[in-house]
Amino acid sequence: MASLFHVLNISKQDLMSRLIDMSSVSNNLANINTIGFKASRTNFQEFLEHYEKHGVKVGTTQVLMGQGMFKESDKPLDIAIDGAGFFAVRLPDGRTGYTRDGQFSLDAQRNIVHANGSRLIWSGQIPENFEEVRVENNGTISYRVGDVWSTAGVIPLTRFPNPGGLNHLGNNIWVESPASGAAQTGNPQTNNLGIIRPRVLEMSNVNAGDELTHLMTLQRIFTLSLRSFQQTDQMISQSINMRKG
Amino acid sequence: MIKGLYAAASSMLANASRQKILAHNVSNLDTPGFKQIVTSMGDFVKTSVVFPGTRQPTPSMMAYVGELGLGVDGIIETTDFGAGIVRTTENELDLAIEGPGFFALQTPQGIRYTRDGRFIKDLAGNMVSVDGFRLLDLNGKPIKLPEGRVVISSNGEISVNNAVVGRIGLSEFKNVETDLARESGNIFSAVNAPVASKSSIIQQGALEMPNIDPAQIATSMSIIARTYEAAQKMVQNQDELLGKTINTLGRI
Repeated sequence: MASLFHVLNISKQDLMSRLIDMSSVSNNLANINTIGFKASRTNFQEFLEHYEKHGVKVGTTQVLMGQGMFKESDKPLDIAIDGAGFFAVRLPDGRTGYTRDGQFSLDAQRNIVHANGSRLIWSGQIPENFEEVRVENNGTISYRVGDVWSTAGVIPLTRFPNPGGLNHLGNNIWVESPASGAAQTGNPQTNNLGIIRPRVLEMSNVNAGDELTHLMTLQRIFTLSLRSFQQTDQMISQSINMRKG
Repeated sequence: MIKGLYAAASSMLANASRQKILAHNVSNLDTPGFKQIVTSMGDFVKTSVVFPGTRQPTPSMMAYVGELGLGVDGIIETTDFGAGIVRTTENELDLAIEGPGFFALQTPQGIRYTRDGRFIKDLAGNMVSVDGFRLLDLNGKPIKLPEGRVVISSNGEISVNNAVVGRIGLSEFKNVETDLARESGNIFSAVNAPVASKSSIIQQGALEMPNIDPAQIATSMSIIARTYEAAQKMVQNQDELLGKTINTLGRI
């Protein structure tokens, strides 16, 4: 027999799931202008146990790796990846972080640093007397001294078997996880790692229209779930107060 | 009178079950590929009613009044396999089926079927459902995706970087309502073996949303509430009548 208290639990779980989904949508919408940001999606799944209905459960969170649009920039170290790769940066705790945010700049020691201060991992060095730098499609960084352009090194790219499973650290940085699989590093334009586009930035891949539509749907579902919850509560109350006097 | 009490109580129980199914459907209003559960009420066995006249010498001379229903014999649950609305997501591995087909998944318990088209790549490069079950091709083998851009045509053929790597096998059922049994996680087990789907097409970058109509849900909700309330009032009324009978007739 179905206990009405069990039905209350189904609706409670439903309401909690909608709240989780709403925070995921809010996070996407908040990052609609964040360079290199990838939207994520919470996957919900029907839940039965021993054929008894339990409503819904949170399955997985999936990072949607779709390519973002490109925006032109006038800075030589604003670069974007066209393809599946990531830039690798050295995090303060020594770990390797991965990002699609290509807003790099040079620090006082001429290290190439990410917006959050982490150093880009690449093979090479820019000498003290350089006057200008440029990045090419294959990831080569060149510098100019006087009229002479010389090669400083190459920016490698990294890809993962399942990028959707990377752990998000915040600040647009991901780290490897058991779900993402091991990092595979190589030069741009090889092994489907992608091409580097100089003087452009990859915009957030969040689609405002989709996210807002989803938010509206969520609000409607939340209202319906809440009504269902209240109705079950009322049914319980009716059965408790059935016997008068 | 006691019969009536139980009949009304059976309606309360049945509507509590209907409320559970409704809550389950509402919970899955945003679960891709979900197929709603619909309920119907079964009639309980009928019983003959006779008028026990006071002057009848033998039972055979009792006056036959008619048949009396004893309420609701629980609810019958079936799955509505009607198509849901297809929503575009533009994700490479989100697939929607148009037509009666199902994706076949390899699970530890055997092959299971689903309309939930949210796929991802596992570490070995296999196409798997969000719960990690491998999607099967036309020959019942897992589909391994090499690195690169995935294009899936409407007949299920998968190309990566313009090279064909496999074809998704869709299954179809003759009597889908009775051939499939619901299991946890939006999947179904086959009671009768499927046939290869001929008339279904696959749409890449889209998901089939649940086939639930929110307006229908809101209506059912009111019906359940009012039926439960009415049954509850009938229990109360008959309880009062029973009390009066006992107290009045019992007083000599």
